[in-house]
Amino acid sequence: MNPAPWPSPPIIVIDDDPTMRRACQAALERVGYTVETCPDGASGLQRVEQVRPGVVIVDLKMPGMGGLEVIGRVREIDPEIVVIVITGFATVGTAVEAMKGGAYDFIPKPFTAEELRAIMARAVERWHLTREAARLRREKEAQARKFVTFVSHQLQSPLAAVGQYLDVLRHQMGDAATATQKQWIERCRAKIGEMLAMIADWLTLSKVEGGQLATERVAVAWPEVVRDVLDGLQTAADEKPIQLHNEVPADLPVVRGDRAALRMLLMNLVSNAIKYTPAGGQVYVSGDADDQAVRVSVRDTGIGIAPQHQAHVFEEFYRVKDESTAGISGTGMGLPICKKIAEELGGQMALASEPGQGSTFTVALPRAGP
Amino acid sequence: MADKTRILIIDDDEDYRASTRALLEGEGYEVFEAKTGREGVEAARATRYDLIVVDIMMESPVEGYSVVQALRGGGDGGEETPIVMVSSVRDDPASRFPMAEEMPLITPDAYMTKPLDIPKFLACVKRMLGS
Repeated sequence: MNPAPWPSPPIIVIDDDPTMRRACQAALERVGYTVETCPDGASGLQRVEQVRPGVVIVDLKMPGMGGLEVIGRVREIDPEIVVIVITGFATVGTAVEAMKGGAYDFIPKPFTAEELRAIMARAVERWHLTREAARLRREKEAQARKFVTFVSHQLQSPLAAVGQYLDVLRHQMGDAATATQKQWIERCRAKIGEMLAMIADWLTLSKVEGGQLATERVAVAWPEVVRDVLDGLQTAADEKPIQLHNEVPADLPVVRGDRAALRMLLMNLVSNAIKYTPAGGQVYVSGDADDQAVRVSVRDTGIGIAPQHQAHVFEEFYRVKDESTAGISGTGMGLPICKKIAEELGGQMALASEPGQGSTFTVALPRAGP
Repeated sequence: MADKTRILIIDDDEDYRASTRALLEGEGYEVFEAKTGREGVEAARATRYDLIVVDIMMESPVEGYSVVQALRGGGDGGEETPIVMVSSVRDDPASRFPMAEEMPLITPDAYMTKPLDIPKFLACVKRMLGS
């Protein structure tokens, strides 16, 4: 008779009492389980390592290595192994302790063969479900990775190819093109640029979600990052024109983080500030610190964000759409990327804004230890 | 006047080949295409070209680096032909050639990113042909 509608994994019984070992083995083998027994914790763990059983039954009170320690070690070997504890002194306290240590269930002595088999049936079911869940999770992650690769290749490549056709057309038409033709090519080019930027942001976001973006933990000096980012965006600011102001004190304490990720974070904030500030406006980057945190703020004199939108701007794909933002393109992914980077580094983002007055975005990161 | 300057484009992307060809032909060069790395290496060994433009990430067993390596190490006179490598990889340029010191054979003479900046690309082509 098959005890459960699943194929049964091997079971290991670890108990110093030979009678108990034999009893458990017999009770379980009678209904078709594959069981082996070990007389102590050390030899039990060795077998667990070799056999990788689905379920381990362990006596809580044994000479030498105790049951609690065995539970912990089994969980280290493979957290998917389900552990059942045999407890001779059936107090709630010891059972709770064992469960806290990672045991799935406990069975107080004395117990009948039926009781043991009932608990075992549940444990085996649990083992299957855990494994199935892990398998599905791995499958889902693999799917997500495949999708990211698919997006990067299948969407970016054709867009880039169309972009190059347009570039060559523009180059070859030169002055022969009419103003409208030139304008249309420019608009096509801009749209492609936006779509490529959106795909790049999306890929970045999926990396951040996988925890892959802010991987480095090195001392980062904000003043250098700020200078670097402002230099990079100077052309965009001049085109508008917007004045960029660097007010970050040179002695701002360092933070621990990922330089490239922090650069991306600040780049997003400053380019947003430029984007949402009308011509002639100002963008200020400032910094301050206390015992706990180092803050860098980007303040603009732009259109600001209405209170009802403020709570949502860090959400993925959320974009404020009204007259004030008409004609401003964006992916709705820049700020979520900032938020995720900040959080990965143990910090947070904050926003203060008043419509028509401007916005201040602040990233606060824990101050690096001495 | 001598024959036209001959440029070989090795790229598995038909659209890139077409637009790059149109661009270079518009500048008066004679352009040849290869659809795979293998085809490119065979063509370059069979005939002399004045410049080779090769894509890094081709979906063929012989990708860009292997092409450069094959041409540089061929010992058949093709070592002298300048090679421009193009790619849509947008990483830090240094990370593209992590083993450049150990493997000078896979380092091209110039490196451009896709989408090509047309004026820069044409200037690069001119410079390569001039040297």
